Parts: sequence; structure tokens; C-alpha cells
Amino acid sequence: MQRFHFSRKQLCIPYGLFLALFVVIPMLLILFYAFTKETDGNLSFSFSNFIGFFTSRAKLSTLLMSITIAIISTALCLLIAYPIAYILARSSFRKKNVLLMIFILPMWINFVLRITALRELLDLIGLLESQNYLNTLIGMVYDFLPFMILPLYTTLEKIDKSYLEAAADLGGNKFTVFTKVTFPLSMPGVISGITMVFMPSMTNYVVSDTLSNFNITILGKLIDEYFTTYDNWHMGSMISIILLLIIFLTMLATGGFKDNEKEARGTNLW
Amino acid sequence: MKRFLSVFAAFLLLLPLPLTLAACSSSSEKQVLRVYNWEDYISQPSADEDPEDAAPDLIAEFEKEYGVTVEYSTFGTNENMYNELKINAAGYDLVCPSDYMIMKMINEDMVEPFSDEFVQNGTYSSYASPYIKELFEENGWTRYAAAYMWGTMGFVYNPAFVDAEDLSSWAGIWDSKYAKKSTIKDSVRDSYFLGVAYVYRDELTQLADDYAAGKLDADTYRKTLETIMNRTDEDTRSRVKDALLELKPNLYGFEVDSGKQDMITGKITINFAWSGDAVYSMDEAEASETGNPVYLNYAIPKECTNIWFDGWVMPKGANTELAEKFIDFLSRPENAVANMNFIGYTSAVGGDAVFDEMVNWYDESADSENRGYDEDGNALEKYDLNYFFRGTGNYDDYTIYISEDNLHRQLYAQYPSSSESDNVILRSAIMKNFTNEETAAVNEMWEEVKGLPIPVWAYIVIAVIAAGIVVIALTYVYKGKRKNAAPKKGYHRVSSK
Repeated sequence: MQRFHFSRKQLCIPYGLFLALFVVIPMLLILFYAFTKETDGNLSFSFSNFIGFFTSRAKLSTLLMSITIAIISTALCLLIAYPIAYILARSSFRKKNVLLMIFILPMWINFVLRITALRELLDLIGLLESQNYLNTLIGMVYDFLPFMILPLYTTLEKIDKSYLEAAADLGGNKFTVFTKVTFPLSMPGVISGITMVFMPSMTNYVVSDTLSNFNITILGKLIDEYFTTYDNWHMGSMISIILLLIIFLTMLATGGFKDNEKEARGTNLW
Repeated sequence: MKRFLSVFAAFLLLLPLPLTLAACSSSSEKQVLRVYNWEDYISQPSADEDPEDAAPDLIAEFEKEYGVTVEYSTFGTNENMYNELKINAAGYDLVCPSDYMIMKMINEDMVEPFSDEFVQNGTYSSYASPYIKELFEENGWTRYAAAYMWGTMGFVYNPAFVDAEDLSSWAGIWDSKYAKKSTIKDSVRDSYFLGVAYVYRDELTQLADDYAAGKLDADTYRKTLETIMNRTDEDTRSRVKDALLELKPNLYGFEVDSGKQDMITGKITINFAWSGDAVYSMDEAEASETGNPVYLNYAIPKECTNIWFDGWVMPKGANTELAEKFIDFLSRPENAVANMNFIGYTSAVGGDAVFDEMVNWYDESADSENRGYDEDGNALEKYDLNYFFRGTGNYDDYTIYISEDNLHRQLYAQYPSSSESDNVILRSAIMKNFTNEETAAVNEMWEEVKGLPIPVWAYIVIAVIAAGIVVIALTYVYKGKRKNAAPKKGYHRVSSK
């Protein structure tokens, strides 16, 4: 009898199984539910959920609200995270890893706990009662900031300093060096950060529910409602598919799918 | 590869073996009862409690007494439970859905009927309150469901900040006086009920006046009330939507569970609540650990209230014999007391043990033999509970004597009043199960209430972003054109040199 050998191919089997069980099959199920409807216990193929989504005032409003909140929180995250990441990457401080850790430390505390604590804090300041949108944005930014800082920091730190020296040698002032060299080179980090923040802030309804006292509804909440209380998995799946399409579109727009190694370098960080 | 597959297949075959073995050994010894209930909805000791004063472990007691094993699992919403039953039809022997879900399950022929013995001579049938039994008989549920906990809906409020008179109508929270000081439920059915009660408040008041004037008998009054409160036509839905959208900016917010805590900490002063949660809020606020107890009240507006209950049903294919034993076990008054202590809701079961506990909790008589007077000899208010307890025990009279200050607190939430001046029982309506179409339409209405209005700045942000994208796209196109033209330009430049 021949001895049994594991080849590299066979080592892949568990991962293949994992992918099939937890990625492919669930996706197929979601697709199946999204394009079927139930009438008297019988399932039939139908576009009614798709049409239903785009003809419902409530759902389109929720979509609009989610996109607005996601765009603003992503922009705020970028505005806050870039300087921090830049300073951290540039600083010659020996223990800058400690500094970085302080910024991402909140990530290691349970996020429901953080948001509940934030709610009490906002109440203390007096914002909780009236500023639903502001509170939700504060919560989203607070929650997702580390996801923006990390990719930015990694790309900024990797930039070869000789590029910057060369640019300065050629007569660029600090501002020109930043806009013409540093920022373009950090684009992969920016894009990676945007995809990391935009998508969850469209769906993280724990933040919007807790901090807006359920006054703001975003798509994640709607999906949850369809699965838990409205008892309509078909529409819930359709909303998930539409979310997925939006993410695909944003990735296409930001070039996340480019195979060009140089351009896609940062986007594959996470 | 083939060999690996066979090894793998053998592994797969072996995998379930220990499970089957375990199942065989247990089933050969003991019967299994699979109970599916709401979270925290049965008396259970918690791990960190001192065993001396821990809550009784009813499941363990039942297992011991009957020599069976109980597999106990919990759900969070009626719809989750319903879906689980659809997927795993024969997976449970006893489930505890709410009123409308019980109706849906009966309609869809998903439940087993109780045996004659259980309906006529069981512990449940002898201790269940005559009020609840009549309610079930009227609606034809007696055969299929046994009530577990029940209650009303109303407002918990802080009398220090809220005028009780304002909450004698559901319209109270629409009053700008209480702007940003009240919450309602983030739940479509409860909030729809509130909306309907508000929209038809004039009609309901007229109805109550007609009854008071003797133009209607009690039965017609109740039936009409129930019809009004179960309206789901398009006109009603759109009026409810407008009413709730009008209410939304006046609210502090919607809540699922945080209302109780927000009431205790004083973030809000009015909370639209189930009576069971109301009791919890009042208890906690009074026992405030800061040493500054707050006394909250419970109000049930004059127009109507929603009477709700959760009850036991046996899904098709259940072990009915054991399931009935479990219901009967829980219906023993002493176990009902244990559950009421633990859950804080009101059991559908009466009996002298339950009444004694209520006297113990609420009666303020100085002399337990000659009740009705406080320590200073002043007469106390009579709170008549005969409608609920009569016939479930051996006492002649089930009346609790309570001071006026406490009249609208825990007792009022636990057992709604049936007095002539404030007959909550008469003005309560069950919210029926809607058809699938009605449910979908009401859900759509609720979605609009939750999703609207969109603030103007959101449109501006979207417009700016869209414009930005267009500009960037145009720049690309323009640059692309220039790039194509570039070689020609370069050629010219070179040639001119």
C-alpha cells in the first residue's frame, strides 16, 4: 500500500469546503430568495422584490439616508484619519507603534459597549435628545476611525523617502511635494480606507438605533426588520443584493478591481 | 485522491455516531419535552445568586417530579419562532407565542388540540382566571391555547412632570408640552394600535359616552370597540401614518428595551409600555439605589387599551400528553407566583396562593383580619379583583385595599381595574391577526413612518456628490481626448525644431 501524502492541492480542500459552505452557498441562497416570491406556500421566480424596492417611497428614502450617512461619515473619517496617519508615519518618535496602538485601542473593546457608553456621554453633553443625525455621524466616525487610520498609516509609512527628497530637490515646496507625490502615492490606502468605512456605515444599525433613539433608519436596519419582524426573507435578501451592488459599484469606481499590481497594492491590504 | 475521499467519507460516517448513541441512551430511559419559549419567561435561578434566595428552578422541578428531560430553548420575536417552526416542524412539543401569532397558527392548522381531560379537569382549567377563560371561549381558542401571561398597554409616566389628566387620552403624547420627553415602541403592531386609537379617538369617546348613557349594552360596546381597533383599510393606514409622522418629531424616540431604563434615569417622563414592563420600571425607580426613589404611575387612556397575552400551544406532532402536564405544572398557583416574581408579568392563573401574594405585595390594611383601614384608621380604596379570581380559590371575596397614592401604580398595571368609574376590562380590545396582505400594507406604512422625512441637507449632499462624480467623469473624458491628440502635437513640435 502506498503511503498517504498530502499534496498542496489537498491542503486546499478545507478552504474550498469553507468557501463553498460559508460563501458560495449562502450567496446562492440570498440570490434565490431575492428573486422568488411566495404565494400560498408555493415559491415562484419573480422580479417583484426588485420592482417593489424601487417603487417604495420608504425604501428609497432609507437608501438615500444610508448613502448620505455613509458618505459623510467616510469623508469625516478620511479628514480626521489622514493627518493622524501622516503625522504618525512621518514622526521620528521611537515608540510610534505605541501611539498607533492608542488610536486603534478602542477597536479591542466590544463595540456595543462602546456605543452604549457613547450614548450616555452624548446625553451628558445634551446632544442625545435632539441631534439624531449628528449623534449617528459621531458614532459612525468613532467606530470606524481605526479602519481608516490603519490602511492610511501602512501606505504612508511604506512610501520611499527618496521620492520626497527627489521632489524637494527638484524645487517642490512642502505643499507641492504633498499634493504631487505623497498624496498620489497614498491613494491605495485612501481607497482601502474608504471601502472599509463606507460599506459598514451603510449597514451598522446598532449605531444609528442606539444614538438616534431609533429615529434614523438605515438599510441594515431594514434588512433586519424584514428577517425578524416583517417575516419576508425575499425582500430582505433583495435589499442585501442591492447593497452588494452598491458596494461593487463603489469598488469599480475606486478601482479596487484593477489587477495592475502597482495601483491595487494598497487595496489588497485588508 | 480517491483514497483520501474514502478516508474522508469514513470520517463523515463516524461523526454522527456518538450523537446517535447519546440520543439512544437518553431516550430509552426518559421522555423528552421540547419547550420553546420567550427569553427570560420562566422562573430560573441565575448563576450568581445565593442558592438560599434564588428563584425556584421550575424546569428542574418538573423534570424531577415527572422523571423526564426538558429541552428548553428560547426565541426573540414571534416571527422568528414561526419561521423556526416552519423549518423544523416536529422540533418542539410546546411553544409560547403571542395572541395574534396563536390565531395565525390556529388558522394555518399548525397546532394540536388539547385533550378533553385537560380542557375539563386539568390544573390549568381549574385555576385559569374566569376572565381569561371567557375571553378564550369567545374567540374559540380554548381547544388550542392555554394563556400564560397577559396584560394591557398604557403609559408609564412620572407624575412630578406629567399631568395625569393629559394622559387620560392617547392624544396626550401628541401634546407639544411633552416634546422630546416620551417614547413609543419600535414595533409595528404596538405603534399601529397607538395610531389607530389616536385617529379614532373621537369615535371611541362617543362610543363610551353612548354606553354610559345606556344606549348600548356592554357586549355591543366591546364588539364595536374591537372592530374599530382592528381597522386596517387604506384610509385608516394613511391616517395612522400621518398621525405617527406628526408624532415622530415630538418624541424622544422609539425603543425596544431601553424605555424602562430611560424612565428610571429620568431621560424621559412618558413611556408607551406593556403593563409587565411598566411594573418593572415602577419597581426599579422606587428602589433606586441612589437613595432617591422616584414614584412612577401607570395610565390607561379612557378611549381603549390593547389586551394582550402569550399562551402555550402544541405544534402538530408534539408529545401532547407531556406538554399538557407541563402547562398544568406551570398553572399550579404556587408556580404561577414563582413566575410572576421572576418575570414581573401577570399570570393568567388565579388561585388563593396568587391572591395571597398580591395582598402581601399591595394591600395596605393595618389589620389583616379586619382589612380596609390604614394605620391611622382612614378608609382605603377598594380594588375589586373578583372578576379575575372568583372561582379559582376558596375565598368569598377578592378585594385589595390600597391607598389612593398607590392606586395607579403596580397593582393597576398587573390587574386592570374593573370598577364602574374606570372599567379598563370593558374598554380593552384584542388586536387580531391581520391577513398577509394587511400585514404587508401595515408594515409598509410603518416603514414610511420610520424612514421619513429625509432632511433637506441630505438631498444637498447627494446632489453635490452626484455633481462631483459628473465633473470627475467629464475631466477624464476631456483628458482622454487630449491624450489621443498628443502625438500629433508632439510631432509638430519636433518638426518645427
